[in-house]
Amino acid sequence: MSVSHAEKISLTVNGQEHALEVDHRWTLLRTLRDELGLTGAKRGCDRGECGACTVLLDGVPIYACQMLALQVGSRKVLTIEGLGDASKLHPVQQAFLDYDGGQCGYCTPGFVMSTKALLDRTPDPDEDTIRRALSGNICRCNAYGRIMESVKAAARGRAKDGR
Amino acid sequence: MTDQVVGRSVPRIDLPEKLTGEARYTSDLKLPGMLHGKVLRSPYPHARIVAIETAGAERLAGVHALVTPFDAPEGKVAPDMGILNDEVRFVGDEVAAVAADDEDVAQEAIGLIEVRYDPLPFVTDPEEALRPTAPAVHPGGNLVGGRPLSLERGSIDEGFSEADRIFEDTFTTPAHSGGALEPRAAIASWDAGRLTVWKSSRGVHQDKHMMASALGLESDTVRVIGPHMGAGFGNKDETRLAILAAILAQRAGRPVKIELTREEELIAGRTRHATRTTIRVGVKDEGSITAIHASTIMDTGAYMSSGPGVLRRAGQGALYLYRCPHVRYDGQLVYTNRPSAGSYRALGAPQGHFALEALMDRIAQDLGMDPLDFRLKNHVGPEGQPGQRTTPPDEIIDTQPVEGGVPFSSNGLRECLTRGAEAIGWRERRRPSGESKGPKVTGLGMSMIIYRGGPGGRTAAKARLTAEGGVEVVSGIIDVGEGAATVLAQMAADEMGVSYDSVKMTLADTALTLPAHITAGSMTTFSSGMAVKAASAQLKAVVLDAASGILDAGVDDLALQEGSVVVGSDPQRRITLAELARSAGGKTLEAEASVLPGSTKSIINSFGAHFAEVEVDLGTGQVRIVRFVAAHDSGRIINPALATNQVEGGVSQMLGFTLTEEMITDGRSGFTLNGSYLEHKGPTFMDYPDIQVIFADVVDPEGPFGAKALGEPPSVGVAPAVINAIHNATGLRINDLPVTPDRILNAIQMSETG
Repeated sequence: MSVSHAEKISLTVNGQEHALEVDHRWTLLRTLRDELGLTGAKRGCDRGECGACTVLLDGVPIYACQMLALQVGSRKVLTIEGLGDASKLHPVQQAFLDYDGGQCGYCTPGFVMSTKALLDRTPDPDEDTIRRALSGNICRCNAYGRIMESVKAAARGRAKDGR
Repeated sequence: MTDQVVGRSVPRIDLPEKLTGEARYTSDLKLPGMLHGKVLRSPYPHARIVAIETAGAERLAGVHALVTPFDAPEGKVAPDMGILNDEVRFVGDEVAAVAADDEDVAQEAIGLIEVRYDPLPFVTDPEEALRPTAPAVHPGGNLVGGRPLSLERGSIDEGFSEADRIFEDTFTTPAHSGGALEPRAAIASWDAGRLTVWKSSRGVHQDKHMMASALGLESDTVRVIGPHMGAGFGNKDETRLAILAAILAQRAGRPVKIELTREEELIAGRTRHATRTTIRVGVKDEGSITAIHASTIMDTGAYMSSGPGVLRRAGQGALYLYRCPHVRYDGQLVYTNRPSAGSYRALGAPQGHFALEALMDRIAQDLGMDPLDFRLKNHVGPEGQPGQRTTPPDEIIDTQPVEGGVPFSSNGLRECLTRGAEAIGWRERRRPSGESKGPKVTGLGMSMIIYRGGPGGRTAAKARLTAEGGVEVVSGIIDVGEGAATVLAQMAADEMGVSYDSVKMTLADTALTLPAHITAGSMTTFSSGMAVKAASAQLKAVVLDAASGILDAGVDDLALQEGSVVVGSDPQRRITLAELARSAGGKTLEAEASVLPGSTKSIINSFGAHFAEVEVDLGTGQVRIVRFVAAHDSGRIINPALATNQVEGGVSQMLGFTLTEEMITDGRSGFTLNGSYLEHKGPTFMDYPDIQVIFADVVDPEGPFGAKALGEPPSVGVAPAVINAIHNATGLRINDLPVTPDRILNAIQMSETG
């Protein structure tokens, strides 16, 4: 027998409030992708190993596959779609473009979100801090070298702009 | 003049949409009415399926279609793999599939299918599998093709008889998974007998033919579309996934999507082949090589997939990397009841180079030669191998030749050796093996690389002028994440004389594109590069011809400059490409070209030399990569930033193969034990070392804009460079990958107990 239970929730994603009815088993990732059509967060493992589903919850990077939609509550979710669009890239996205910080792109939204969270709390990170902050995101293309350069560039740009 | 972009690090053409989350991968797509499929997989390494009871699953609300071996169509996905078989051959092999309203219902339905298996004897070790009494994984025995592959140049008997000393050792490499971050996914949809499939694909045209043939359809009723792909590494596909989605969609009368889970992707995707290679080398006391004989036993698991090609490629290093008149390669591809191996970045080359380059290093040391000097003395030069050409004069030379007597189109191996050695400080910093002292010892090691240079089969491409005055390149290849779309756009821009920004790429849709090679074998830059270059050149001729009439000037007097055709003798007379596109009166200005890449005169190969500096903790057995230098001859580099990314990524990926990654299949149960990223331990950001990339200053005379293959060579030399550095640091001879801490500690213990 299928045991499912639906509940009405309010979910704030990228500044917009959504009234949703969610199955109690649905993760935040599944809810974002299937219910809201926000497919930027990827399902690389669905078990908290790869970081491709990283989103920010009140500014803190989390694996969206490791939280139920019901657990989010009033906290604000930021996904890659809320960061910038092709006509106006967020400075972190621009740095990744300028320094080729990705290959196939499947891990890229997760890396960008983790980087944003890092730079918001540590504007001038050293290499070791960057490695640790991004160690929960796997890139199987192993573009880590270019991602490192991208993050450093994003940090430099931030220092210059005084943001 | 429009600025040239070939040779410049222009931004990756599809990165903006990947950075904003707009890029759509197969799993991101949703069709109206789409159902979700799940696959039931075998819990036995080898069994006959006696009966399947599906009534329980069918009764479950929300289930719309099933397929089992007893009602599946007759066709074949591959010569040794039916759509579904009543004999399963590894733990994880496909048994049945279900389509339901959502994944949860589909998963529940899978649990309600009752299967009666008759377990059969099984074998998980390839050497055991070769014994006459071994259980047969497939009818006809476990040696694929029924006989070994044997290739010889000269006579090794003669070569070994000329040797002063003969060295021999045996090396093993494990199965491991590419583990692309995007698990395989496929969506199938039928409309009036026509099938459209969106899937993770390394080649949409190949997949179209595979699907049509398996399902007994006319080829032109199948359309395969490759959305963005979350990395390929030459893998994706060779599985049943899309076929199962198509059958379920047909039965349900609705589109069906199947996405593999991470565990399914690692186990039931396609892994790199495990190998056992014995290599024997004869040398003169002064250090020249008289004979090389490599013998490889390769485990292809439950299905052959691309195994024969992988087996062949494992031998190329032994046959061709060192100048030697007498060489031989014997390869055996063996079925076992393990997860199926398949195509994965550089096929067998990393395995073959590991054995070859590890032994050569030890030979050099035993002869009292510096391993760099030994290689400088013996590496194959621009003139190629000694011997007689056997390919007829008007035929294209294979990129994996056995014959001698044929020069290379270009060969920058020596430059890779000297510049790489200089960058790592080989001459100044390398000490004799085993001299480093302390709880943590350091050492330097190196390896050489030879690899196919990029010619594939016949390849076509189209180019057309868009209404906005840009160029649209239409090609049947897919960008698997490595950057092919960018590199081809750069070539089209320069060949046409238009700006990079004005080039639009239309790829990977069998309904829109001409047939092309698969994106594997490092073929795309070279082969599709030639096709795109030729199509762009022809489009330029078409455009100038059209402009000639409008501007009333001879074609010879016209030039393409910054988006306009300009009359050379009177630059005031000009027409923009956008105006020209509109003035064609509804007719699109376009051109297509079909090329047969390759050379009848020379071998087109890429080369490289890798240098590793390691630190080994003798207390814990941990190996740390201190520094890595990768020097590559891939001809002219079309986009230095992308190429650097590709080399760094290939090196880091294969540090996983060298130090940590292995798909472990338990010999007693046939279960694969580590189907997760946590346990199939690939490199994370914490593991990424200092990697320096060097490109040799080579312009290949045959390649488009002078380019040669780049994608796979970086993965070929990593393991031997590291194993040689470990030997230099510790004096230990470790012959088995991955070099885990316990292997180091065991080797230390063995050396102490003598």
